[in-house]
Amino acid sequence: MKKADPKDQEAGDKWEVQLRKGCLELAILAALWSQKLYGLEILRRLESDSDLIVSEGTVYPLLSRLKALGLVRSEWVESDAGHPRKYYALTPAGKQRALDMSKTWATFSSSMSKLLAPLGKGK
Amino acid sequence: MARIDGDAEQEIDAYLTKLRARLRGINEQDVRDIVEELRSHILDKMGTGEVTTAAVVATLAALGSPEELASEYMTDNLLTRAEVSRSPLRLLESLFRWASLSIAGFFAFMGSVVGYLLGVSLILCALLKPVHPQTAGLWILQAGTDDLMISLRLGFGSAPTGGKEVLGWWIVPLGLLVGCGLVMLTTRFGLWCVRQYRKSRVFPPGQARLKN
Repeated sequence: MKKADPKDQEAGDKWEVQLRKGCLELAILAALWSQKLYGLEILRRLESDSDLIVSEGTVYPLLSRLKALGLVRSEWVESDAGHPRKYYALTPAGKQRALDMSKTWATFSSSMSKLLAPLGKGK
Repeated sequence: MARIDGDAEQEIDAYLTKLRARLRGINEQDVRDIVEELRSHILDKMGTGEVTTAAVVATLAALGSPEELASEYMTDNLLTRAEVSRSPLRLLESLFRWASLSIAGFFAFMGSVVGYLLGVSLILCALLKPVHPQTAGLWILQAGTDDLMISLRLGFGSAPTGGKEVLGWWIVPLGLLVGCGLVMLTTRFGLWCVRQYRKSRVFPPGQARLKN
């Protein structure tokens, strides 16, 4: 088989980065679906449940944006560790957004899977 | 609880002080919240037991430099405020930030400024027509021997000599309609640009990746 051109490789990497970036918001809303979590817990949830390793420097500004959009709210809670932690929880608008996004995701991924099925057989 | 020695503590404080200094344009309460949240994150990462300066340095490196992190907060903050408020000033503020970073941003900013200026001038002209019935309006002026020039005049000062006013009282409904339309279109254009700007910001390498 022909070796991938470095330029193609780069375009593929960029596409992957954009794809993951697009999923990050839904991933965070989904992590907060059933419980409130603080930043590091969210990072660990994403890492253990989704294979999405997210840089710490990305998730905190994104949480602050979700809060400004009214999709999550936050509260400081004292912890046994000796310092307070900032917990995030979904607002009703955030829950609605998570539901809408997950519906879109389900439709999109099932139609993509159909389209991609022949590629799997061709391996 | 983690035991932090003086050097490690200094590293953390220096990082957070640099970050705080770069979070311009965000209100004081939010800045305090951001800084305290990151301090709490750093302490949580240290876990329990003795904390070495090396561990602190590694944790801070994982957050990115204070400049990069502040820039993420600032841009997200500006973009979100622009999208939520839909206010022309917020939009221009975001686009101005983009303009300082790229040519595309510069044109988006200039386009929006021109759109808003023209829209507001048309609305003002329509509103001032009843005050200055003789002079306010859309004028065609003689410029040089052969050239004609179109001029939107608010009616302050005397009527231009050799000029002809073209719309008369029609400037009132037309000015309001076209002016408001232009302001709305420019806002939509600006919001579209802001969204393109958000899309164009590619994460630095290693910011989001799949486990191998």
